[in-house]
Amino acid sequence: MRLFYLLGYAAIAVFGYGVYVQIRKYRRGAALKLDGSFRARLGDMIGKVLSHSTIARRDPAAGAAHRLIFYGFALLFIGTSTITLQYDILEPLFGIRFWQGKFYLVFSLVLDVAGVALVGGLVYMMYRRRWLRLPKLDYARPDRAPGDPDFDRPQYRREDWAFLWILLVIGCTGYLLEAARLVWLQARPDVWDTRWWSPVGALIAQACRALGMAEHGGALLRHGLWWFHGLLALAFIALIPFTKVKHIFTSAASLMVRDPQAAQRLPRIPESQAQAGVAKITDFNWKQLLNLDACTKCGRCHEACPARAVGAPLSPRDVILSLRDFAKATLESGAIPEAAELDVHGKAPGQVAQETLWSCRTCMACVEICPVAVEHVPVIVQMRRKLVEDGAMDPLLTKTLQTIHKTGNSFGESKRKRAAWTKGLPFPVKDARKEPVDVLWFVGDYASFDPRNQKVTRTFATLLHEAGVDFGILFESESNAGNDVRRVGEEGLYELLANANVAAMAGASFKTVVTTDPHSYNTIRNEYPDFGGRYEIQHYTSFVKQLFADGKLRVTSPLTYRTTFHDPCHLGRFNKGYEAPRDVLKLLGCELVEMGRSRANSFCCGAGGGRIWIPDPIGSEKPAQNRIKEAAAIPDLDVYVVSCPKDLTMFEDALKTTGNEGKFVVKELIELIREAIPVHRPEEVPA
Amino acid sequence: MKILVAVKQVAALDEDFEFRDDGRDVDPDFFIRDLNEWDDFSLEEAVKIKEASSTPVDVVAVSVGPDDVDEVLRKCLAKGADRAVRVWDDAIEGSDPIAIARVLAAVAKHEAPGMVFAGVQSSDQSFASTGIATAAFLDWPHAAVVSALNYAPGAKTAVFRRELEGGLLHEVEIQCPAVLTIQLGINTPRYASLRSIKQAAAKPIEVLSLTDLSLSAADVGEAGSASRVRRMYMPDKGRAELIEGDAAAQAERLAAIIREFKGDSA
Repeated sequence: MRLFYLLGYAAIAVFGYGVYVQIRKYRRGAALKLDGSFRARLGDMIGKVLSHSTIARRDPAAGAAHRLIFYGFALLFIGTSTITLQYDILEPLFGIRFWQGKFYLVFSLVLDVAGVALVGGLVYMMYRRRWLRLPKLDYARPDRAPGDPDFDRPQYRREDWAFLWILLVIGCTGYLLEAARLVWLQARPDVWDTRWWSPVGALIAQACRALGMAEHGGALLRHGLWWFHGLLALAFIALIPFTKVKHIFTSAASLMVRDPQAAQRLPRIPESQAQAGVAKITDFNWKQLLNLDACTKCGRCHEACPARAVGAPLSPRDVILSLRDFAKATLESGAIPEAAELDVHGKAPGQVAQETLWSCRTCMACVEICPVAVEHVPVIVQMRRKLVEDGAMDPLLTKTLQTIHKTGNSFGESKRKRAAWTKGLPFPVKDARKEPVDVLWFVGDYASFDPRNQKVTRTFATLLHEAGVDFGILFESESNAGNDVRRVGEEGLYELLANANVAAMAGASFKTVVTTDPHSYNTIRNEYPDFGGRYEIQHYTSFVKQLFADGKLRVTSPLTYRTTFHDPCHLGRFNKGYEAPRDVLKLLGCELVEMGRSRANSFCCGAGGGRIWIPDPIGSEKPAQNRIKEAAAIPDLDVYVVSCPKDLTMFEDALKTTGNEGKFVVKELIELIREAIPVHRPEEVPA
Repeated sequence: MKILVAVKQVAALDEDFEFRDDGRDVDPDFFIRDLNEWDDFSLEEAVKIKEASSTPVDVVAVSVGPDDVDEVLRKCLAKGADRAVRVWDDAIEGSDPIAIARVLAAVAKHEAPGMVFAGVQSSDQSFASTGIATAAFLDWPHAAVVSALNYAPGAKTAVFRRELEGGLLHEVEIQCPAVLTIQLGINTPRYASLRSIKQAAAKPIEVLSLTDLSLSAADVGEAGSASRVRRMYMPDKGRAELIEGDAAAQAERLAAIIREFKGDSA
């Protein structure tokens, strides 16, 4: 018995050392001050852990099984701990005993049921790994080739199985122990007569007796098993900080430090920091290092990633796991290696390659679905900042950034031409810099300069005019909003653009901002406040919905189209603008058929994160094509509705290149509104 | 050891421009200004030589122009130039490439570099003479349109390649110090991030006057120039005409057009 205590202390010491090593690793990251109250964060985390809401999303079976394991394990752990509490602390010190009588019996029953839950959950997880063969649980990496040392990482699989088996064996031997004790003490009525309070143990005990086991055999079995079970449990505890078991702590902690605006509002580079972005593993902040360890390899980000879906060399899961392996190799030993060995950029195991970072669309699908609040997008953008600083990017992207710097727009057009789309409108568009307006329309680059989108822009202007909205624009004082420039990682250029726009808007008098561009919408709404620009801003979809509600716009010839709606990343996932466009579609009379991937799970068109300025590899499928094929599976679809200028460009192109032209059309919601409210003939226009 | 890189802030036309009142240039309000594309390559070449060198090399960017030229010099500092020098005096206004070359040559004497780089030409004026004229004032060896260069800082000679007509390559050895004008495509110029440009703003730009260079007002401006722009204008739009009909009719119409152009009214 004394030996067991010794081993117990040893296990706890190993556990304690492991925790120290992990915490030391996180503390080797850069500093970060969290905002928000500790209590709110704690409450949020506990709610998510207890409800399993994030784990059950898009995979309810895994959620249910994990819930069984979690609650089973938690109850058994609490049960065992309270036994220790009484046996080793309360009773010897204070003579308090609570493990007796009715309480003891009820607790036996609860723990027995908890054991069933644990074993059941584990068995399902084994079934899931072995027989369901889910692609998201395949560790083969899209950013490595077969034969590379870290291509499919069989050590991960071994760890997964060892984890499941150890827990299963601990659970099963617990039952056997219980049964052996019953057989051993069957002569004691206080034991034997209450045996059905631990029903599983009792059943096994009955079976043992039927097989001829007697008291002596029970005692022997119990003694042997007790040591086996105990040692296994101690080993499990000792190994927690060194294995995936640590997710019990790291995932919970990660949920607690979650930033709900992680992808929507990227961090500024502090004035005091000379270097931009992340070059070394220690440039990540402690929270990001913790994020790496929180990952449970569940593969949901891998599944949701549009770049991964079209075969690009990126899986958000593998970016995180690579960096995690890197941090483990470099930051867990006593001394931190030389700076040169901390470089996270490159192709060696643990490093992240340029092509991987440039494949990201910053669409936020990974961040949004991660059950443990890993924030991939800021990690990727921080690494891109370093690439931009080194000029390690596609030549076309370099050119576009230079163009934006020079002209303030990505089209390389003269500033003076920004409002050229207003020419030919039968009414003047107000200059918000010169006269006060109710609504400042931030037009954005694509809506201003792209010829196809200019038509939509003119249509929207006409609708506003007809609805009697007092609106104006900033003419040549408007610059590219910078949303995508920031996501490329050109933070200096972003600061320039944001400051220019904030200054331009400061020179105008308006009540609210409206934009048709979800990218501009996101950065103005979520990021300009960091630059002193605080506005009330709406995407046009919610603004138009209000115009309908107020009777300023009225559907005069309802549409009968069968439509599907594509949620733009920056309107939907980023800013939860799911309902307004759907409501407007219904107001127009359209039938709406949802695609499989919609709302939070909407599939990026591939243009985000600056990818619209980087050519896709020739011959590979583009995300927009993948998406159009999904829509094409809807029978009798008439219109694929978008509400983002870049979407219009991307999907009209994909419609042609996938050979779906003629089957259905891609339209801006604005164009459908126009159709449902036909223009008055000139003689009907009131003077 | 120093490499002197002569750079120019060039002007690109904005949409719908207007001419200056004297009709000799475009109204400066309608310019979009940037670093001359060729100079981007020559600066990159100098910075690459510096980065590959085991001995210390100072890359000095020099430009002749008023204070708004600081913007391109800061870009050069952001891309790796160690120092930036700007020469200006109101008398320099109106200088042609020869007068500018006289100023650059004075700077080269002042700095005593092992090598001077200039772009083959500027994208706005396209004289392609500033670099070579600078060599003439210095009486140094020179070469134009260099498309590959092998030069170790401090070496007595450098070897470079020039592309000739018909796909021929010219490999030449030259005595140093020399003046080379650099062709596009010799390297891949690096991207100067906005942060690096901002950080470069902290580095000083040395401003030299004519007296600092022992030059007088007579050496520059129109007085020191060998040529003078008389006017700048948009030519009348050319016309195109599709000649239809059979061969005889086409030939007849063609002959008529030729006569018209020759001015034969007969």
